[in-house]
Order: sequence, then structure tokens, then C-alpha cells
Amino acid sequence: MSGLSSAINASASALDAQRARIEVAVSNIANAESTRGPDGLPYRRRDVVLSATPMDADPFANALGRAQAVGVTVDEVVQDQDAFRRRYEPSHPDADAEGFVATPNVDVPEEMVDMLGAARAYQANLTAINLIRDTIQRALELGR
Amino acid sequence: MPEISDAAILSALGRQLNNAVAKQTVAASNLANLDTPGYRTHDVSFDETLDGQLGGVMRTNTSHLAAPPTDGTPVEAQGLASRRDGNNVQLDRELLALSKAGGEFSRAQTALTAKFRLVRYAINEGR
Repeated sequence: MSGLSSAINASASALDAQRARIEVAVSNIANAESTRGPDGLPYRRRDVVLSATPMDADPFANALGRAQAVGVTVDEVVQDQDAFRRRYEPSHPDADAEGFVATPNVDVPEEMVDMLGAARAYQANLTAINLIRDTIQRALELGR
Repeated sequence: MPEISDAAILSALGRQLNNAVAKQTVAASNLANLDTPGYRTHDVSFDETLDGQLGGVMRTNTSHLAAPPTDGTPVEAQGLASRRDGNNVQLDRELLALSKAGGEFSRAQTALTAKFRLVRYAINEGR
């Protein structure tokens, strides 16, 4: 039973991580044209760093070599250090002496693809939670 | 032929429940790490281990490859194509494993319930 609940926790941690990915992709798209941030520079594309984490460090289960659930956590959100794009637009208030505007290093189609992937992964983990919940339900029926 | 005792059947069904839970746990972990760079798909392979034991293939030389562990320890799955980030989790494979394990659990649970019903029948003197 503890195995099943930690499996649900692992899937729930994945829901969390995928939601974070969607949020980051959305803010990247929203700021695809933001040429001025708090630091005076254009917006830098954000990226989520995921890492696998065992759900419960149970030394007993470890010693027995039992299957342990491995979840996922968002380690950090990093800024993409790629160069800004440059667009010729002399009338823009942020244009430099040559008439070029530095625009964010965001590629909108790429963000859309990332968001689709995250949404699919979210769905898959939701399905997993439902399947495990069915198993728990069956386990409870043993007591009838 | 010796009669298979109730206790043996009950413990076999119990083991099947445990195996199904282990499989679901591992498949859920794989699914959770669908997009984690460098994560490798893990597997618990009771059926393959059983087949290996029944086939009677013995390890005759220590330099031969060893059989996988028999106690349900998750091992890295072999023969899956990796993506560029070193991750080799396949969505359909893991969802299939989850459903299959759910079916196994269901089957064992149905059989166990039937067993328990017989015991209760006996306790109640057939009433």
C-alpha cells in the first residue's frame, strides 16, 4: 500500500513539474517582444531544469531491494544565455545608434512545441494516477 | 499428487498482488520522469525471471552474463532507443505496463475474494 501511495506521489510530483514547464513556456511567449525588463535589458528566455528524486528514502525498503517510486522535481529555472536577436527598427524607443533593437532570444514555435510536450506528459501522469487509484480501490474491495 | 493447500494459494495470490504493485510503482516512476534528461527506464521483470527459472538454463561459467535479480529489484530496461538528452522513457510502453499491472492486480484480487468467500462460508457452517 505504501508502494501505491508513493507511486501516486511520484505522478503528482510530475504534474507539478509539467505545470511549471507550461508556466515558463507561457511567460516566454508572453514576453517574446519585451525589449525592456527590470534590468533595462530585453527579456531572456527561461528554461526549467528537471531532476529525478526518489519519493521516500525508506531504508527498510532499500535494504530489501523493493521497487521505490522515483518522482521528479524542478531543480531551478535558468535563463537562456543565448544572444539577443536584432531587428532593424530605427523608430523604436529602444533602438541603438545604428537603428537596431535587441529583442528577446525567444523562439515562439519552439515554446509551443515545448508546451505541447508538457501538456501531453501532464495527461499521461494524470492517467497514471487514475490507474493507480483503481488499483487502490480494488485493494480496498478485498476487505468486503 | 499432493493437494495444494489453501495457504499456498493465498500466499501465491498475495505475491501476485505485490508484484503488480511493484510494476505499477516502477511504471509510474518512469512516466513521472518522461522529460528528465539522462533518466533511464527501469523495469521489474518477474515473468522473465520465472521463465528463466523454468527453462532450466544454468550458468556454467562465471564469465557468462548473470541472470537478472529475482527479488523484484528494479533494473535498467535494455534495448530501448535513447533520445538526445539520454532519456529513454516511452510513453505508450509505460501506460501499457500500468494497465497490464492493473489487470494482474484485478485478477488476483478477484481470486482472493473468492477464496475468502469460501472460508467465510465454512466459518458460518454453510449458512
